[in-house]
Amino acid sequence: MATGILRDVEIKVIACAVPDNIKKSKDYTEVFGEESVQKFINMTGIKTRHVALDEQCASDLCYVAAKSLMEKLNWEPSSIDALIMITQTPDYAVPATACVLQHRLGLSEDCIAFDINLGCSAYVYGVWQAATIISTQDLNRVLLLVGDTSNFGINPYDSATAMVFGDGGTATALEKTKGKELKYFLKTNGNKFKSIIVPAGHARSRSRINNAPDYDLSMDGSEIFTFAITDVPRSIKSFMKQYDIGVNDVDMYVFHQANLFILKHVSKKLGIPMEKVAVSIDRYGNTSGESIPLTLVDALGEDKSSETIRLFLCGFGVGLSWGGIYLELDKSVCLPMIYTNDYFKEG
Amino acid sequence: MTVKEKLNMLEDLLDIERDSLNEDLGLDEVENWDSMAVIALIAMFDESFEKVLTPAEVKKFKTIKDIVDQME
Repeated sequence: MATGILRDVEIKVIACAVPDNIKKSKDYTEVFGEESVQKFINMTGIKTRHVALDEQCASDLCYVAAKSLMEKLNWEPSSIDALIMITQTPDYAVPATACVLQHRLGLSEDCIAFDINLGCSAYVYGVWQAATIISTQDLNRVLLLVGDTSNFGINPYDSATAMVFGDGGTATALEKTKGKELKYFLKTNGNKFKSIIVPAGHARSRSRINNAPDYDLSMDGSEIFTFAITDVPRSIKSFMKQYDIGVNDVDMYVFHQANLFILKHVSKKLGIPMEKVAVSIDRYGNTSGESIPLTLVDALGEDKSSETIRLFLCGFGVGLSWGGIYLELDKSVCLPMIYTNDYFKEG
Repeated sequence: MTVKEKLNMLEDLLDIERDSLNEDLGLDEVENWDSMAVIALIAMFDESFEKVLTPAEVKKFKTIKDIVDQME
């Protein structure tokens, strides 16, 4: 298992923006029937979700979050050394959304900017990537943007996906700070790459260009569930053992918000009381890669105390890809949740 | 665990009336046997029997007896 410690790096601020527009699971009773919708709510915990306008992209939500973060920190655009964008719903097939945002945020030409394509594990990989370049290179400030508008490309009549996803964009500021560190593990199992897939729209299935369902997200719920309750806790246990971290050494667990049943099952298996597990899925749905920072902002965004807490973050899903991070964070790093309908009209 | 106890566990899992299941029932005749029940079944095996059922194994189950036989 890839594990390690990254030193002299700290998360300074986390911001999150979600669309104003709210959809309720109960509004789907006409499509799927009352009983099915109730069963869905009972299992997933999802009651409402914030869903982007047709014109609103992940980049727009990340932009709003990034602007408020830069303002809070008084970060001059020219002081940002790198911008990393992680999304599965980029603005365009080409170019990378990071380049569009480098321009839009007024960052310098000397800023490194690139995209990474990951979903549920995005935040853990993103923090690892950002922390790695700060820890090992002569770079001070990295802006990590993680966001998705997952409801783009969802078949509204597929009960496995229609009511599941919430949209959002997050921004995390990481900076070189002596004495601060984080521990991580990262894993991949591409053998199950078809478990969550959008088959068409890119180079592999050009010949099936007229087959519309191939452009929709397909998700094998039971396959993902088995992965989430077996491989994920096994990796967490091994990571915790390696670094001698006990349940009492963690104040808050922030898991990818896949579904409430999974959160409860995994927590029980690891002996974690639910009081320590942050939950946002009931009001925001499954928010893909941004679920971890979104859940942190939801839990701590209104907390003005400057108390330090010990966190374990864990993302798992599409790829299949998963990972975890153990770090300390000042509660005040999370800004209050932002609600917005803004989008980039020049796009 | 007796067969009756196992059947009761499945009835609770499916949220159906106690003593409404019997081993000979085909899964396609069972009320509430759907994709969410499959997930709940995988979770129950993991928690109560420390056994990992793969979705492929669940797909092979044809009758209630096929499930009951694995509950140990």
